[in-house]
Amino acid sequence: MSFLAPLFFIALGTAVVPILVHLIQRERKHVVHFPSLMFVRRIPYQSVRRRRIRHWFLLLMRIAALALIIAAFARPFFRQSAAAMAAALGGDREIVVLLDTSASMGYGDHFEKAKAAARSAIDSIGGASRATLVLFNKNAEENMRATSDRGRLEAALAAAKVTSGGTKYGSALKLAESILSRSTLPKKEAILISDFQRVGWSSSEDVHFTEGIQLTPISVADDKASNLSVAVSPNFGRSTFSGQERITVNAGIANHGAEALSKIPVTLEIEGRPMETVTASAAPNAASSVSFAPFTLAEPAVRGTVKAGTDPMAADNEFHFVLTPSLSVSVLVIDSGERDSSFFLTSALGIGNTPAFQVEIVPAARVSATTLEKRAAVILNDAPLPPGAAGGVLKRYVERGGGLLVAFGPRSSWPSTEADLLPGVLGPVVDPNDGRGATIAAPDYNHQVFEVFKAARSGDFSAVRVLRYRALQPGKDDRVIARFDDGAAAAVERRIGTGRVIAFTTTLDNTWTEFPTKTVYLPVVQQLVKYLARYEQPNSWNTVGQVVDLSVLLKSRADRVVSTPAGERLRIPSTEPGLLELNEQGVYEIRTGAGSARPDRIAVNLDPAESDLTPLDPAELVAAVTGHAVQTTNQSSSTEPVQLSPEEAEKRQGLWWYLLIAGLFLLAAEMAVSNVLSRNERFL
Amino acid sequence: MIQSSAIPGARFVEPKILARIGSLDLLARTVVDGFINGLHRAPYFGASIDFAEHRGYVAGDDIRRVDWRLFARTDRFYVKQYEADTNTNFTVLFDISKSMGFSSGGVSKLEYGSYLAACLAYMAQKQRDRVGIITFDQEIVTHVPASAKHFNVVLHTLDRAKAARPGHLSTPLKLMAEHFKRRGILLLISDFYDEPDDILEAIKPLRFLGNDLIVFHVLDPREIDFEYEDASTFEDLETTDQMPVVPQSFRDQYRSMIQEHINTLQTRFSEQRIDYALLNTDEPLDRALFSYLSSREKLMRVR
Repeated sequence: MSFLAPLFFIALGTAVVPILVHLIQRERKHVVHFPSLMFVRRIPYQSVRRRRIRHWFLLLMRIAALALIIAAFARPFFRQSAAAMAAALGGDREIVVLLDTSASMGYGDHFEKAKAAARSAIDSIGGASRATLVLFNKNAEENMRATSDRGRLEAALAAAKVTSGGTKYGSALKLAESILSRSTLPKKEAILISDFQRVGWSSSEDVHFTEGIQLTPISVADDKASNLSVAVSPNFGRSTFSGQERITVNAGIANHGAEALSKIPVTLEIEGRPMETVTASAAPNAASSVSFAPFTLAEPAVRGTVKAGTDPMAADNEFHFVLTPSLSVSVLVIDSGERDSSFFLTSALGIGNTPAFQVEIVPAARVSATTLEKRAAVILNDAPLPPGAAGGVLKRYVERGGGLLVAFGPRSSWPSTEADLLPGVLGPVVDPNDGRGATIAAPDYNHQVFEVFKAARSGDFSAVRVLRYRALQPGKDDRVIARFDDGAAAAVERRIGTGRVIAFTTTLDNTWTEFPTKTVYLPVVQQLVKYLARYEQPNSWNTVGQVVDLSVLLKSRADRVVSTPAGERLRIPSTEPGLLELNEQGVYEIRTGAGSARPDRIAVNLDPAESDLTPLDPAELVAAVTGHAVQTTNQSSSTEPVQLSPEEAEKRQGLWWYLLIAGLFLLAAEMAVSNVLSRNERFL
Repeated sequence: MIQSSAIPGARFVEPKILARIGSLDLLARTVVDGFINGLHRAPYFGASIDFAEHRGYVAGDDIRRVDWRLFARTDRFYVKQYEADTNTNFTVLFDISKSMGFSSGGVSKLEYGSYLAACLAYMAQKQRDRVGIITFDQEIVTHVPASAKHFNVVLHTLDRAKAARPGHLSTPLKLMAEHFKRRGILLLISDFYDEPDDILEAIKPLRFLGNDLIVFHVLDPREIDFEYEDASTFEDLETTDQMPVVPQSFRDQYRSMIQEHINTLQTRFSEQRIDYALLNTDEPLDRALFSYLSSREKLMRVR
């Protein structure tokens, strides 16, 4: 209990007044003149020495009454949370405590404050009131269902830990709304305890509390929080030296604070061993980058970590990644055998190393069944169907997952026996628009090949003039992924088995089109090959919350044993889907089968948004959710449980009324008792 | 306690209202005339010297009072007796000690006594009695001898009377007893704060000459019922002694003691053939006047 005006307790000295009245004020000052005391003198008079207190009970009542009245003036109040206060003032409540466990709550003592606030809210429930504990980051989990058992709630709260997840208030608020709307208790309240990161709330979130549900935000945010985070550029510098691949790691340092940081030590660790430490500086609310010296990458799934500086939020001061030596995509180009007939194609595939394309050009006449083996993709570039690939050989290659790109030209021919391999029915050569040519007018941007051109000004296909093409009538199951401006199909895809076939109705050199001379040529060709080869760039890291399909990642359906960064081991049988949710920051290790010596690894990092601690005004969130403004509680500068301001707490509790009434009641009782006693006694 | 015995038809005004009448003369006229008009029979006993009866002569009788005519007829000596001479002395003995100045809100005992004395003096004067007054406390303060012309002086004396000093009955009454040479009606007005034996002892000498003594015991209602609430320090008006008093605790005992005092006085006065009347300053004056008239009637005949 605290007091708003404790100086009033000085007045407790007046508690001796009743005693003084007893001991000192023995005779009444009021004098009554009477004709004669002749008879009064004869009445036996008990001249009580008033130094002796006869009625302790009366004296104690008087002192207690004085003390109560003085205590009322001192304006007492209990240091309780807003929730506790609400409980004290109202009837049974259904409360949902939404506790933010996102990674940003690991900043300093934010989470301890939040738990203290949650504990205070739980302590406030009494009677038939119930509380539900919901732990949330990007996802909300009903940790403890609605119960009046505070012991269970506090046990669940004690077990709550900061996770590596991001922040999203929408899911938590929706869960709270669904819980509260089902409740039959008269008062419904959601208590949101968080650091209120701005990134966790979007005004487009469709969360609206129904009328009668109260949202009480309790902020543990620190307005002056500064945070340093590190991230590694996904584009590792890869070079080859002495036949081995060398990797250059570039790291970015972000300063989310109002003060400039300098001489930040940034360390690169490979397989747990520090490789190099450099220093960096970062201006307020700005970022800088550092580059480490190249190192040789000899083995697959090498674990690396970049660590930068120290601050209250340690989680985002390190960044994990896993590196694997680059794998080239093997491409077989079958052409007519004429010189430079595949010049543009090979040139386009020869540029770049993500991935590197290993191109082999073979004339159609020399293609055999073995030539197709271990090819990620095959390009039939303005050439007739090779005899060696005929007879179902090429079809089987495709059915097993191979990719085939057929680029038609003047030398192309397609036997009717292999018609089912071609996406559509091949027609005659067309000179569009009376020889003026056509342009690729309608690429399917939803297709993976053209998806990279989806953004504005990402690829100017209108500049690609096509003077001649082969008419192709797509089948009903075929997908036209690009058309000329005259409506004819420019590229058609057909899926056969697990493989893919794309027919490009004009040449990939400059025989029928100016396409090879345009800027979009190279990315289109590389996208086509990567698509057909099913190439996916291996992620060097993932973000917390992502789900990976281990069966795709590891291309194996054996039993898998996953070691989480926390050291937990999960066994995923081959019979189950290999979906793994990446909930922890760090490096997951996956082993398949008994003979797997070197594990596969998945690096997981925090959502970069978590490093931005810029707080949201809780009132804004409350207004958006409930439609009412609310006074928020900020606990940023206190380590104690969440409290109202003393004035506010005292005003809400109004204990002084009760004390004053009790004091006055005691005085009245004292008066009645003393009257009864004085009637029976003849002394003053 | 005081029992009101108002004469039927009498219409008296409250003492508090009488207090507003500045003139004691007017006050006396108002009260007495109103009182007399309410009586069923005439209160005037006349001042005649009419024959009353004969009695046998005894030695020592004045031979001038022998009825010679009757002697001639009967040859025996008879003495003629006549109605008494009603022209008597009426003297008010008024206690003006400090305790008489007490008032609990209405009129003080001194004022009440003044009204009473004025009324009776007026009534006596109307009957051609000689009126006089003696005021006293611990000694005689004022002495106005009884005279047919002293009615106004009596009123003036009453008007000037002030309760200023402590009082004591025995000394002044002893002096008075020595003073009275002629029998008459003595009206003693006091609050009698003394032991009954001492009071009787002091009053007895007044009776020696055959004076007809009427005692009016004047008390304030508070003195009788002791209706005080708050515990206070009580101060004796005469001795100025103080003592703490809790009225609620004292009340019952006080009441019984004052009642016992009154009863004792009544009994003792009755034994001494002294008319005693207890007057409450809250009551109209009719009881006092009635007491006086009863006494006066008894004095009508002198045997």
